[in-house]
Amino acid sequence: MALYSYLLISIIIFTIGVYGIITQRSGIKILMCIELLLNSANLNLVAFSSYNGNSTGQVFALFSIAIAAAEAAIGFAILVALFRLRDTINLDNINILRW
Amino acid sequence: MFSDYAALIVLLPVIAFVLTLFLGKRLYSGGALIPIAAIAGSFIISLGIFFEIYPGGMVQQSIPWFSSGISQMNMGILIDPLAIVMLLMVSFVSLLIHIYAVGYMSHDPAKSRYFAETSLFTAAMLSVILSDNILQFFISWEVVGLCSFLLIGFWYHKPSAAAAAKKAFLVTRVGDVLFLAGIVMLYVNLVEIINNPANAFKIEPGNFLLQFKTMFEAIPLIDKTQLTYITLLFFGGAVGKSGQFPLHGWLPDAMEGPTTVSALIHAATMVTAGVYLVARTFPMFVATPDTMSAGVPDSLLIVAYVGGFTALFAATMGLVMNDIKRVLAYSTVSQLGYMMLALGTAGTVLGAGAVGISMFHLISHAFFKALLFLCAGSVIHAVGTNDIREMGGLFSKMKITGTTMFIAALSLAGIGIPFLSIGTAGFFSKDRIIEGAFEYGEKTGDLIPYAFAVIAALLTSIYIFRLWFMAFTGKPRSDRHSHESPNVMTVPLMILALFALFFGFSQLAFYGYVETNFELMGVEIAIHEGEAVHPPVLIVLLPVIVGVLGFLISYAIYYKRMLDMSKIISSENPLYKLLLNRYYEPKIGADLIGVKLTHDVVAQSGEFIDRKIIDGLIIDTIISNTIFKIGGLIRKLQTGVVQNYASITILGVALLLVILRLKFGGI
Repeated sequence: MALYSYLLISIIIFTIGVYGIITQRSGIKILMCIELLLNSANLNLVAFSSYNGNSTGQVFALFSIAIAAAEAAIGFAILVALFRLRDTINLDNINILRW
Repeated sequence: MFSDYAALIVLLPVIAFVLTLFLGKRLYSGGALIPIAAIAGSFIISLGIFFEIYPGGMVQQSIPWFSSGISQMNMGILIDPLAIVMLLMVSFVSLLIHIYAVGYMSHDPAKSRYFAETSLFTAAMLSVILSDNILQFFISWEVVGLCSFLLIGFWYHKPSAAAAAKKAFLVTRVGDVLFLAGIVMLYVNLVEIINNPANAFKIEPGNFLLQFKTMFEAIPLIDKTQLTYITLLFFGGAVGKSGQFPLHGWLPDAMEGPTTVSALIHAATMVTAGVYLVARTFPMFVATPDTMSAGVPDSLLIVAYVGGFTALFAATMGLVMNDIKRVLAYSTVSQLGYMMLALGTAGTVLGAGAVGISMFHLISHAFFKALLFLCAGSVIHAVGTNDIREMGGLFSKMKITGTTMFIAALSLAGIGIPFLSIGTAGFFSKDRIIEGAFEYGEKTGDLIPYAFAVIAALLTSIYIFRLWFMAFTGKPRSDRHSHESPNVMTVPLMILALFALFFGFSQLAFYGYVETNFELMGVEIAIHEGEAVHPPVLIVLLPVIVGVLGFLISYAIYYKRMLDMSKIISSENPLYKLLLNRYYEPKIGADLIGVKLTHDVVAQSGEFIDRKIIDGLIIDTIISNTIFKIGGLIRKLQTGVVQNYASITILGVALLLVILRLKFGGI
């Protein structure tokens, strides 16, 4: 029963994240949504780990958090550089790679 | 002890090539000291190996390279008497030329590129010599060709140099293709022999398919007609590399490179590779049928005739050239003809002894030809022109260059004292070749090669002394100031002059040593039966007589001016015109074959098919139009909005999950 509720929260967070990525236009908001996705996955890992009585998942979640931090730093750096260049971080305007 | 480091003979100059190429610009004289040290190292190792294996020893090392079925290939080193004498000569002459080049190239801005390339050139030639299998031989041979291209076109901003480099590359390529075809044919034959159980021929462990050893062991089993074709194809390669008729045209044009490069090409590192190829595979040449009975001509006969004809043909053109380096270039072509002639004629009558005779001339030629070129370089460096009509009276200003060049000319003309065995290097080596040609004539009744050799010897003597008298005596014919070259240039000249004078005295030891070459490898060369011919006194004396005669003719015409040459040298005289235009070889080679046939006919029709039919009809209208249309539709998918991509990805993953759930019921 406990596992079920954890997974439910995880699914809700994940869905919010996906919804945000698809609908939002601001780069910062999208980055935040990506963090939500990662954290829902982390929650899953910890939940299963606790459920199975096996600490591997917890350790793995720690790794995942560390990598998420690095990823966020790089993501924000890119956005800062982009802002300096284009004066906007609205992704609708950043589409030079299309046909 | 030295034999363990045999691989370093090649590797040292290769390392020097890399170092000089990348670091040379920051070092003294373009990094010249690195190649000099490396080649000196190669020479010392070669010398050490020589003392270890002399007489009757060999160095054999090999490692497997790749294999597929019975085609086991290797890379290896074979140092037998033939290879060691070449190694010593190439590394020594190349070393002297590199030292000389420090002075000669001192004003050139691209010195480090020069020294890097010459170092690689030397390495490639040393690798040709060391190879114990024909495949490695061919690869090194191609690297030699590449380096010659780079060095002939060293001053690539000069259109004539770029054209000469291209010509050298393309013409030698004709020979290389023949050589490669010969290797393929040999390979096919060897595989057939091994696969045929009736032959009971198998390769011992430690030996490999295309090794010279295996090739020689298989000679009796190869079909005689096939063997003739293989040897003729090999000879085709040698003709290209050694500038024999009809592929000689690139060699005089190769004079566009720096003079030191010409010296390297002509003396040490390139043109001798062709002669070396024939010498290396000599047991195969000897084993070809002697007569026309098999329906194919005797390979040795063709070698002899091509060589003899080239010797004479090139010498006639040497008579009229006015460019100091061109005269020497034709002289090289002619002398290489002598080496081929020796292999062909003496090979028929003396068997393995021919290799010794030919190699002896090759090495003594390397000394005096390197000397001639370096002297010419010294003259050009001082006067600033290649044209001997603008020189004259240089001897008073350039005593060392003049003297050493005179020694080289004596050696080239083969002047010495018969019966006392005193003479220049060229005296011993050329004499022996002409005697060999005479013995061949005695035994077969075919005196044509002998006649070629004697007439060419006369012409040789005339053109080289014409060159010397025109450059060094008389009054200066232009107001160019001249001066003796610095020590770094004159010392190599003096060393080479010593060798050009005294190398001949090693002849008996040399013949005896190199003759044993193929016995050491366990190959028997049938020596033709019959009494040893003792040529009449006149025949023995004739080479010297024509040599001195040539000297006297040149002395009379170009020093004493006893004959007014202006009547003969005029555009009216058809013979003079023919010679000056080099038998119209550049016209036939470049204009007719190159431009008219290859470009106008073959290339243009190829272009028509490619542009109009393949590109125009098939590709443009059918393939490319369709692809463009489909592409135009598909590219609308790329909106450039990240969210669209993300949505599609998520949709895809969801779809996959649904499919998996439906299909397997799990997850």
